[in-house]
Amino acid sequence: MLGVLVGLLARLRRGRHSAHRTRSGPLVAVLAVLGLVAALLGLPASQQPAAAAKKVTFTVALTNDADSFNPFLGIEAESYEMWALTYDYMIHYSMKDMSPRPGLATSWDTSSDGRTWTFHIRSGVKWSDGKPFTAADIAYTYNRILDGGPEAATWASYLTSVTKVTAPDARTVVLTLKKPNAVLPLLPIPIIPEHVWKNVSEKQVKSYSAEPKPGHPVVGEGPFRLVEGTAGGSTYRFEANKDYWGGAPHVDEVVFRVFKSNDPAVQALVKGEVDFVEDITPLQVKALQKHPGVTAINGDSPGFDEIAFNTGAVDTKTGKPLGDGNPALKDAKFRYALGFAIDRNLLIKKAYQGAGKPGTTIIPPAYSGYQWQPPADVAFRFDLKKAGELLDAAGYQKGSDGLRTMPDGSPMKPLRLYARSESKTSIDTLDFFKEWLGDIGVPAKVTAYEGNKLTNIILDGDFDAFQWGWYVEPDPDSMLSYMTCGQRGSWSDSWYCNPRYDALYRAQNAEMDQAKRTQDVKRMQEILYKDAPYLVTAYNTIGEAVRSDRFACLQPQPDPGGIWLEQYGAHNYLSVRPASQAGDCDGVATALKPVSSSTGAADGGSGTGLMVGGGVALVVVLAAGGWLALRRRATAADRA
Amino acid sequence: MTTTLVTAPTTSPVGRHRSYGRYLAGKILGAVASLFFVLVVNFFLFRVLPGDPARTLGRGRFSSAAQLAEFRHTYGLDESLPRQFVTFLHNTFTGQLGISLRYRVPVGDLIWERLWPTVMLVGTSTILATLIGVYIGMLGAWNRGGPFDRVSTGVTLTLYSMPEWWLGLLLIAGLAVGIGPLPGLFPTGGLHSTDVDPSSLKGVLDTAWHLTLPVITLTLAYLADYSLVMRSSLLDELGEDYLLTARAKGLRDIAVRRHHAVRNALLPTTTITAINIGFVVSGAITIETVFSIPGLGLLSSEALSIPDYWVLQGAFLVASGAVIVANLGANLLYGLLDPRVRT
Repeated sequence: MLGVLVGLLARLRRGRHSAHRTRSGPLVAVLAVLGLVAALLGLPASQQPAAAAKKVTFTVALTNDADSFNPFLGIEAESYEMWALTYDYMIHYSMKDMSPRPGLATSWDTSSDGRTWTFHIRSGVKWSDGKPFTAADIAYTYNRILDGGPEAATWASYLTSVTKVTAPDARTVVLTLKKPNAVLPLLPIPIIPEHVWKNVSEKQVKSYSAEPKPGHPVVGEGPFRLVEGTAGGSTYRFEANKDYWGGAPHVDEVVFRVFKSNDPAVQALVKGEVDFVEDITPLQVKALQKHPGVTAINGDSPGFDEIAFNTGAVDTKTGKPLGDGNPALKDAKFRYALGFAIDRNLLIKKAYQGAGKPGTTIIPPAYSGYQWQPPADVAFRFDLKKAGELLDAAGYQKGSDGLRTMPDGSPMKPLRLYARSESKTSIDTLDFFKEWLGDIGVPAKVTAYEGNKLTNIILDGDFDAFQWGWYVEPDPDSMLSYMTCGQRGSWSDSWYCNPRYDALYRAQNAEMDQAKRTQDVKRMQEILYKDAPYLVTAYNTIGEAVRSDRFACLQPQPDPGGIWLEQYGAHNYLSVRPASQAGDCDGVATALKPVSSSTGAADGGSGTGLMVGGGVALVVVLAAGGWLALRRRATAADRA
Repeated sequence: MTTTLVTAPTTSPVGRHRSYGRYLAGKILGAVASLFFVLVVNFFLFRVLPGDPARTLGRGRFSSAAQLAEFRHTYGLDESLPRQFVTFLHNTFTGQLGISLRYRVPVGDLIWERLWPTVMLVGTSTILATLIGVYIGMLGAWNRGGPFDRVSTGVTLTLYSMPEWWLGLLLIAGLAVGIGPLPGLFPTGGLHSTDVDPSSLKGVLDTAWHLTLPVITLTLAYLADYSLVMRSSLLDELGEDYLLTARAKGLRDIAVRRHHAVRNALLPTTTITAINIGFVVSGAITIETVFSIPGLGLLSSEALSIPDYWVLQGAFLVASGAVIVANLGANLLYGLLDPRVRT
């Protein structure tokens, strides 16, 4: 019985198999035809850009995607770049040091008590759908943020102490403040069109994408308009706004292509598929510098890396100590002494592959106006002897085993140095630091954690030191605020708290006299330098490369030495132009000049490409045909 | 149980039919149960991950605690865990998967957008690898020890043990950028050119053109999966008497191979194909990264670093759902093909 059943099913199975086989014939045929069609038609399709050469397209490779085109929601730097193209701002940034320059506002003035700011708005500006732009749009944008809700998350801090924004007429915006706010007039908030956004309720805004639909570009007043692209998508296409008040861009289109890793992006630059790559490694910069037709730089970026200490974590609700931080690090003298045990130049060479600058204070040199320079007698240098003397003086004597003890004579617990596992630089920095600490008799060990895990550890106060970094905005206020007592448990990661520093923070935030404010900001940096919750190790650079045989006139920001794209503002998208039209770049001496092309390899080979492609297609067809013929013959033979 | 025993001998065909129905019902019930299990585990699994999305996303952007709180409130992160779980269940059964914390768009839309590149990439590669792999394995086993066997086993194993992303980078350097006299034939990455409408015929072909290199890479990497299984199962069949019988009938060698040996050797390959089809929507993270293909693998790996709970839950639901459905399909197919498994 069972045998019969098995036999039945075996037959059934065989039947199915042969049915499957006869179906596979057409499948192969379909695949072959598809292959042929793809090969023959796909190639001309890829030649398309060359055919439509009249349109000038500047193609930029990004290594991260824009997270949202909605200016109230996006967070990634790439999104900021997209808004800078689509929208405009009341205030622009200078190329030299990112200080405020006229944007949509041509001028502004402050009342003597600093509580009323009046901005005078440019006339003749139009939205990309033709509707006139007025001061009411600015008031609308700011009021949406002041109303709270999702809009407040990104932008509320720029409108601190602003209570009311009005537009008394089409050319005037008035900000009323509770108390003076020194961060003004820097307002990096993209201005959105009221006539479009009034249809987006506060409930809808948290998932409103602000993306274009076919034939309906995003409405903005910036130098470009977004015609194609979705958040998290792989390409974003922008069309030039020929009516832009600052003059029409010199390119017709800017296209962003998202590469998920930077090796292929560099390959695409070499091949000529893209004109610009950003965020590449120092080694890639070095390799590209040798490539004809390409200019590659490590541009100064306004950010720093630091070794941060647990200066005494506390539960912010109860005020009781939190975590298990090493008691030695609660002593500012101990932390300051360690500042002499870091060879910053060596770190730059080894951990940063030569890309970066030795760091001093939390305000990077890009903001030269605010940066404090430590005098020679205070400034850190690599001097292990001096570090040892300072530790001796502070009571951390060396024991008989060569290791330092606590001032009360008890042994010192080894410092736990936490690196971020995703960053080789982070691990290398702390490995070096550990060696230097060993040289001065301070025991230490390095452990690497994933960034999110490390954040949890920092918030629990269960650490001694870690390596991380910050990106610093043109106004120092927010960076300075991260070191105040009030930020403990929020953004403060060193648990630093110094009432004298906090008093200065409040003073500078309300100080309307720029010279006095700068003085306060510098004194705050001095306090931090000596208290050493952070030992700033390096100022960052960002690797960028451009096809300078095709495009020219990118101006660095900060100028000189800075980066070309992902700057503050859309300046270079307006300035970039084909190499043949470079001239003297409107007289900007520091702008990138065109270089002579390679042997033309970038554009050559299209004809041969077609031929080789055709050859490949032919082989595919022959192979598929042969396969089919063989199959048919075999079947026939078996049947016979 | 007793009824089956009693009725089975008298009405054999009906009994068999009923037992298949029972088998089917059991498998479907099992699948639904595992899907629900996955749903629950997913929710709690991702909450155990270290990291706070508001802090990861807001570093250097939200300077005050109020801004952090606002973000958490907008996206429901400030609710209690049980409450979030109820919301999650409610959302899942009403077909909404929440709003992505990173992209601030509905997760369903995001997954739908990312699904088709992955299916095209991994699906095509799986089909190609199956067809070519089975053929290679068959030829290798038939002439076991011969030059083709040795070369093909060596080559497929080498490709199999190579990191996929490295193979991809080599192909980019060789075939996309071009080396020496060899011109760059293929695009270095992405899913389509910027100047063509992806829904037009030209756009479809353009997409196929962009997918050529990644598909080749994955196909090469997957080959050994199928060729080795096919080779060993065919080797098992080679000693069987029925092949001797077939030869004795005077059939040509190729006919013996194709219509007798291979047919029986295909069963294990069917199994891995069925299972691997379930994994198609899980994506191929490394290949999607190297070729910058916005697929599901990349989406979930990026979501993991935030962690973007709703995207992770959605992506894993889709991925595990597909595996469960594929396994169910394989089980049902097997129930038809081989009655021995129906117990």
